[in-house]
Amino acid sequence: MEDELYLENIDEFVTDQNRIVTYKWLSYTLGVHVNQAKQMLYDYVERKRKENSGAQLHVTYLVAGNLIQNGHVCHKVAVVREDQLEAMKSKLSTIASVHVYSIQKALLKDSGPLYNTDYDIVKTNLHNCSKFSAIRCDAAVPRPVVEVAPAQTSVQDGSQTKSDRSAASVPAVNGRGPSSAKPTTQQPKGIMGMFAAKAASKSQDTNKETKVESKEAPSVSATSSKPPAKGNIMNNFFGKAAMNKLKVNSVPEQPKEEKEVITPSVPEAAPESSLNTVVEKPGKKTEPARNQQKDKKSKMKRVDKSDNEEEREPENVKKKRKRIKQLQSDSSDEEGIPPPPTPEEEKPPSPPPVPTLKTELEPASTEVSAGGRKRKRKRVLKSKMFIDDEEGCMVTEKVYESESCTDSDDDFKTKPPAAPKQPVLPLKKEPKEERKNVKKGVAAASRASKQVSIMGFFQKK
Amino acid sequence: MFSERAAPTAQGLLSPPSAEPPKFARVPLSGYTDQSQPFRLGERSFGHQYAHIYAVRLARMRPILQERARSKWGDDIALRKLCELQAGEKCCVVGTLFKAMQLQPSILQEISEEYNLVPQPPLPKYIDPSDELILEDELQRIKLEGAVDVQKLVTGTIFAVYGYEQDNGKFLVEDHCFASLPPALPRNGPSSDRFVLLASGLGLGSGSGESLLSTQLLLDVVTGQLGAEGQQSCAAHISRVILAGNMLSQNTQSRDTLNKARYLTKKTQAASVESMKMLDEILLQLCSSVPVDVMPGEFDPTNYMLPQQPLHHCMLPLASAYATLRLVTNPYQADVDGVRFLGTSGQNVSDIFKYSSMDDYLEILEWTLLAGHISPTAPDTLGCYPFYNLDPFIITECPHVYFCGNAPRFQSKLLTGEKGQQVLLVTVPTFSTTQTACLINLRDLSCQPISFSGFGAEDDDGDMDIKH
Repeated sequence: MEDELYLENIDEFVTDQNRIVTYKWLSYTLGVHVNQAKQMLYDYVERKRKENSGAQLHVTYLVAGNLIQNGHVCHKVAVVREDQLEAMKSKLSTIASVHVYSIQKALLKDSGPLYNTDYDIVKTNLHNCSKFSAIRCDAAVPRPVVEVAPAQTSVQDGSQTKSDRSAASVPAVNGRGPSSAKPTTQQPKGIMGMFAAKAASKSQDTNKETKVESKEAPSVSATSSKPPAKGNIMNNFFGKAAMNKLKVNSVPEQPKEEKEVITPSVPEAAPESSLNTVVEKPGKKTEPARNQQKDKKSKMKRVDKSDNEEEREPENVKKKRKRIKQLQSDSSDEEGIPPPPTPEEEKPPSPPPVPTLKTELEPASTEVSAGGRKRKRKRVLKSKMFIDDEEGCMVTEKVYESESCTDSDDDFKTKPPAAPKQPVLPLKKEPKEERKNVKKGVAAASRASKQVSIMGFFQKK
Repeated sequence: MFSERAAPTAQGLLSPPSAEPPKFARVPLSGYTDQSQPFRLGERSFGHQYAHIYAVRLARMRPILQERARSKWGDDIALRKLCELQAGEKCCVVGTLFKAMQLQPSILQEISEEYNLVPQPPLPKYIDPSDELILEDELQRIKLEGAVDVQKLVTGTIFAVYGYEQDNGKFLVEDHCFASLPPALPRNGPSSDRFVLLASGLGLGSGSGESLLSTQLLLDVVTGQLGAEGQQSCAAHISRVILAGNMLSQNTQSRDTLNKARYLTKKTQAASVESMKMLDEILLQLCSSVPVDVMPGEFDPTNYMLPQQPLHHCMLPLASAYATLRLVTNPYQADVDGVRFLGTSGQNVSDIFKYSSMDDYLEILEWTLLAGHISPTAPDTLGCYPFYNLDPFIITECPHVYFCGNAPRFQSKLLTGEKGQQVLLVTVPTFSTTQTACLINLRDLSCQPISFSGFGAEDDDGDMDIKH
């Protein structure tokens, strides 16, 4: 019989497991209404005492009622031991409720263990803590998980919006909070990598990116709504001329947007990866431009090759400036940039996948630079030498590298506009990736070619 | 309140399990408007001097005081500014009060090399018989003597004095008056019993577990888990819970970075982190059952200056998922079911306590209402944002419930004003020491303390006495 079942259960809990069985604990364990749990406990006590008056059973009761104190009436709620019950009841002028609070084998000296029992069981049932309560509140509904998109900007600003918060009423949210910041930093890099990579290597990039993104995707909600929103920004970024040259207009925006967006969804990343190649060029171009603009340290002025790009850039940069990720996305962009030189405003898909190597390095560098992303980056003009097999000569190019001040291994190169040639061979050292600089005429100190070494860490300073 | 209604079914649960137990619906959320917009700071700029807030305060309250002066001392009295004073002429002057206190901690004195002073240890009260009152207005100041209680008044109060200037340059006060209760607000309270629970000073993270069981009992009563059916149905009439500050204990305040070496404190987590997690769980339990307003207090992780901004929701991820959680400012003003609440977490009252001879929190609370200003000592001794356009602490509409949190004990009083205003003054006690919260019945503005206790080894009766 059902009746017997609960009695057996309580018996087992109290005598065999030697637990403190509070009404709340019983209610959660058996899945019954709190009032039923209280009645069950009472029933058990009565029966047990009838059967065996010497049963070792200690009961605590809850008593509530009016108490006259200092002239005014106070409503008192107290947990008392059985031996104190009558004394308490007599103190109260009106009794509002009496019921069994807990049953245990041992005599409790103080009420601490009662609290601990309840605390543990509530902690494990936080998500439905009012399920067995006698009061239900219709207004108390957890908010649905909202797009993280709007939160992106705010994350950038250093605060999280409610949408983020509402992600879950489950403790998982706790984990989400801090982690969402991370993905955002990673994401742009991944996306930037997408742009940077060449068409052929795009797939590789994509794979890597998806890898990177997939890390974050689980922890971040998809922001499908974001790309459209960002589309406008990206549009501005590219400028009309640039846009026209894009083979795929809408798609590139998306990846770009994703760049800006902190948490692009993985599925989005995948399909877009192929399109990223196209965007790459514009991305690259805008990257350096943006980079420059964003780089506060940079004293170099770049001639604006593409006016509309630049016009757009300030406003984009402005928007981007608010985001911490901006720098990172920039750096990731630059890192993943394939060598192919881009003529001023072109967005032609980059030629041969220089970045076969690059792509491999991209994820690495993106990750590497992730850490250094937050530091400032400097633009430094460097000379790069490589052998151009196509024409059978050595090519020296002056390239702008964006170097992270703290991480010497992250170099971003941008080619000055003067070099129309596309470097076929990526000059690669681990973290280095070349990038074409769209702007012209920037003079910068040239540095010795970068080599991966820890000394670079000090040099940067 | 609860007891009478609940009494009939009090022993109902001392029986074998019965049929389907009832589920009471919480009284619906109705008639709530947040009126604390003036206390929210948007862009903050600290480029302004604090003189502006006093100027604004005086300008805003001068007309009110002039009218009060006329009604008290006659329509024909002369209202003068200090610069227009003539010796011997009886007139009324409106100005800001400044109390020159010898014991008032002054940072300039502390760091002055001339004096070589050791920093003064914090005292419970800084009053001294040698304190002097000075009245200031926009241009001048004058010392006051006579029928003014120097010990009781505090800096920053705007009031009107009636008297005349003596030959020695001091103003002899024959009578004075304050702004008195602001105009009344119509009260459209609910027709049936609706309760608001006021609690403050939960004091999580204090390291002592005394009040933890009581906190749990409080949650259980409000969420309807504790008590017999009658009590649970009464608890369903609690329409709102307001936590008036200091959810975190003072012990969570510092990592002792001042005294300890950096390498010892660098990796230690602030104690407030654990406490906020605990608070989050507590609020989650509450929010899943009742609307909650959380006000920050002196020891809560928000800004120090008044008005304190709401706690950030990212610190309470579990509870923020519920729309029933409202993180509000300190001071806080809202219309709940047609009843206007105005209250603080207690910093204003405790600051006045330090600089005035008044000892009773309820008395100080009443005095601030009569003076027409929530916190006259800000910004002098209580940190305050340098307002320059407005002073949001001026009480412009008379609230129906005026409370302050973190008081040493529970007190309440129903104040009636001359123009028919009715205000319930409540000092909400610190829960961590008194295990007492307040239940306010919105229907008739009555208030009852509700206290919780467990049992301890030392109690003969197993009952901890409520401290009152």
